[in-house]
Amino acid sequence: MTDLIPLTALGCTAARHEKIGAFHLTERPNLALASLSLRKGQAVPSPFGLVLPGPGQAVWSGDHGAFWTGRDQWMIEANGQTDLAALLKAAVPNASITEQTDGFAAFELTTEQGADAIDEVMRKLVNLDPHAFEAGSATRTTLDHISVFLIRRAPDKLSVIGMRTYAAALWHALAQVARRTDADIDARLSP
Amino acid sequence: MLIPHPLLGPRDAQEFIYLGDATLMHRPDATRPDAEAAFCDYVFLRHNPAGVHRELWFHEAGDRSWLVVTRNTVTHEIIGAELACDVKLGVTQ
Repeated sequence: MTDLIPLTALGCTAARHEKIGAFHLTERPNLALASLSLRKGQAVPSPFGLVLPGPGQAVWSGDHGAFWTGRDQWMIEANGQTDLAALLKAAVPNASITEQTDGFAAFELTTEQGADAIDEVMRKLVNLDPHAFEAGSATRTTLDHISVFLIRRAPDKLSVIGMRTYAAALWHALAQVARRTDADIDARLSP
Repeated sequence: MLIPHPLLGPRDAQEFIYLGDATLMHRPDATRPDAEAAFCDYVFLRHNPAGVHRELWFHEAGDRSWLVVTRNTVTHEIIGAELACDVKLGVTQ
């Protein structure tokens, strides 16, 4: 059998990580994604024991997560699953399920400076109210002209899931905004 | 410009694509005897009010929902927004 070497969205064999001042930017290559759309009139299921969230929200439980992407439509996440769509189809046989893992690249921005630093990053990056976008919020929006899913996994942890072909551009956008925000925070803290 | 999305709250108008007059949702019945004349009006005739106007906007960079946005074409004030499916199904006016 052909011996293939798996590469991450950024073209490396290992997940990229960069420390930018008080920020940590990390690639999450093992995040599996599958979309779940209900058929007309179908009751809301609870795959993997998840209570599927309402508009603008995300939930997690163990290795699985879900975030709302549209009416009767969610993206299901799992850590390290190689065929999430098949597992999801087994859990919810009547819904429309599409494998999404290969289409996306996931990055995570965390900070040692607390929620305010993530709020400041969001003010530079997207046109959303960072105070309204608290932990457990998720939405699709545009950042540097790139369409992304934004998930606030914790007050100091922002997940960005974007199109895989844009991985490098997205990484650049996130690294740059982290550098600028870090410089701004430093400037405020120094006498 | 912000559009008050009924599900997601205020969102940047740049996330939306503008289609036009919301009367486009009322497509004539093609089996009517006067269907040709009705379709001619449907395709080519639009009101062009200076003032309150109901129009279709698509949340392309968001949840991909169609909205009926009520907007004042003179002042550009956004007066309200509803989900187009709710309007079509008669859930809201």
